[in-house]
Amino acid sequence: MSVHVASLGIGRFGKRPEGLVDLAAEAAGAALEGIGRRPVDLLVAGTMLGHGVHGREPFLPRLAARLSLEAASGLRAESTSATGAMAFQLAVDALETGRFERALVVAAEKMTDRSTAEVTGELASALHPSEAAHGATMPALAAIVTQRYLERHDLPVSAIDAVSVHARARAAHNPNAMFRTPVTAAEVAASRPVATPLRLLHCSPIADGAVAVVVERGTGPATVLGMGQGFETMRIVDRSDLTTFAATRVAAQRAYEAARLTRKELGVVELHDAFASFPLIHLEDIGVCGPGGAAEWFAKGWVAPDGRLPVNPSGGLIGRGHPIAATGLCGIAEVAAQLRGEAGARTLPKRPKVGLAHAVGGLASHNFVTILGAAGP
Amino acid sequence: MTTETPLVLSQCDACHSRFLPSDTPCPKCGSTRISAFPVPAHGRSIAATELSTPAPGWTAPHRLALVEVADGVRVLAIVDGELPAAGAAVEVRLAGPVYRTCAAERGASERGEGESPRARRRGPSFEPPR
Repeated sequence: MSVHVASLGIGRFGKRPEGLVDLAAEAAGAALEGIGRRPVDLLVAGTMLGHGVHGREPFLPRLAARLSLEAASGLRAESTSATGAMAFQLAVDALETGRFERALVVAAEKMTDRSTAEVTGELASALHPSEAAHGATMPALAAIVTQRYLERHDLPVSAIDAVSVHARARAAHNPNAMFRTPVTAAEVAASRPVATPLRLLHCSPIADGAVAVVVERGTGPATVLGMGQGFETMRIVDRSDLTTFAATRVAAQRAYEAARLTRKELGVVELHDAFASFPLIHLEDIGVCGPGGAAEWFAKGWVAPDGRLPVNPSGGLIGRGHPIAATGLCGIAEVAAQLRGEAGARTLPKRPKVGLAHAVGGLASHNFVTILGAAGP
Repeated sequence: MTTETPLVLSQCDACHSRFLPSDTPCPKCGSTRISAFPVPAHGRSIAATELSTPAPGWTAPHRLALVEVADGVRVLAIVDGELPAAGAAVEVRLAGPVYRTCAAERGASERGEGESPRARRRGPSFEPPR
């Protein structure tokens, strides 16, 4: 049975005055408008932190009530920053059982109502407790990965500066992005250190945001062709190789196999650039180039909208902002937007037929790959 | 550190992997049949970072290093003093629930003194060939 993305509701990311449920309802409303308010019989909702005004939000029932979806069934997904991708894959799996006709998938995060230190501490809960006990944070472990990657491939830090420059250049064309102004490599290199060698402009920013999509049985330009996920040990001390993410390689292999296609058929990809070094690793892990080859793709502009393979035309996490749970669904929605010709000012010069969205949970301990495209004959 | 207390690794009785910490099942095969395996308390820093925004409860700058203490056995450790360069010899100790590391007082000569820092870093590969 085929399932396709029928409608999109991509909210504006950034510092927003609204609360979690309001943000989610706004994105959901846009997605439901897109299908002419036809009935939805499944709601899949995802949030990680679940910040409400009075503590943890009972997100699923509150959202269902807000959207008058009490007659639908509901599922709640959570896998840290891959939550949105997990929610999407859950909805597709549920539709494929034949029990449901049409699902609304919503992923949202409220972050800017807490201090950076508080949010950093909460996000460290996505790390292994023994490593968090050392005062490790997500940027700290990402910095260690970055050092290993750069050193193994004999690359200068400027190789990742180029990734941030690309992200911000693309985000300037995305009205939903948190950052609408481009940055230069010199500005990236001069931004304040966060966890050496990572600097502020190498890191995706804390943001509020929500994304919704409607998936239904049938086919269209954004039919689900293949999905996969993979796990890797949470403790980075147990990983023999920090320059590749096994969870991505497994997820991508499963998705390519299910879709019966190869990376050569991809026309657009959205990669999880939580930190500027990550898209280099991801591009290699999804098989676009060999180990150490990805820096050249960014340096030579092969990832540009008119390049060999457009990467993150939305601006990615670094440009859009990173409202944790919403991010994984945003990547999928952005790929669908390109395939459906609904990407507005960020529309690629050549409409892609197949796209891949990638999401990372934790420090790449639970990753997801989703391939969308026009259904085959 | 003037006196050296060995680090006690775990060795899996089933698959013979060595690992830390000692209170977990074998990360390779899941076996809970584990024996103690002491090693000298020094190693090489694989990578190290200085955090400007540490987690709540920690003060900036907070420094962390990933240290290889035996073949294939690594610990995350809090750095006392300067950040070690990649490949630098360090000492490691267990302090309550955390590992701490500092520059080794001796042993620089065993680890390629006289080579350029780059060449020393290149030294033995930390990652298996792919």
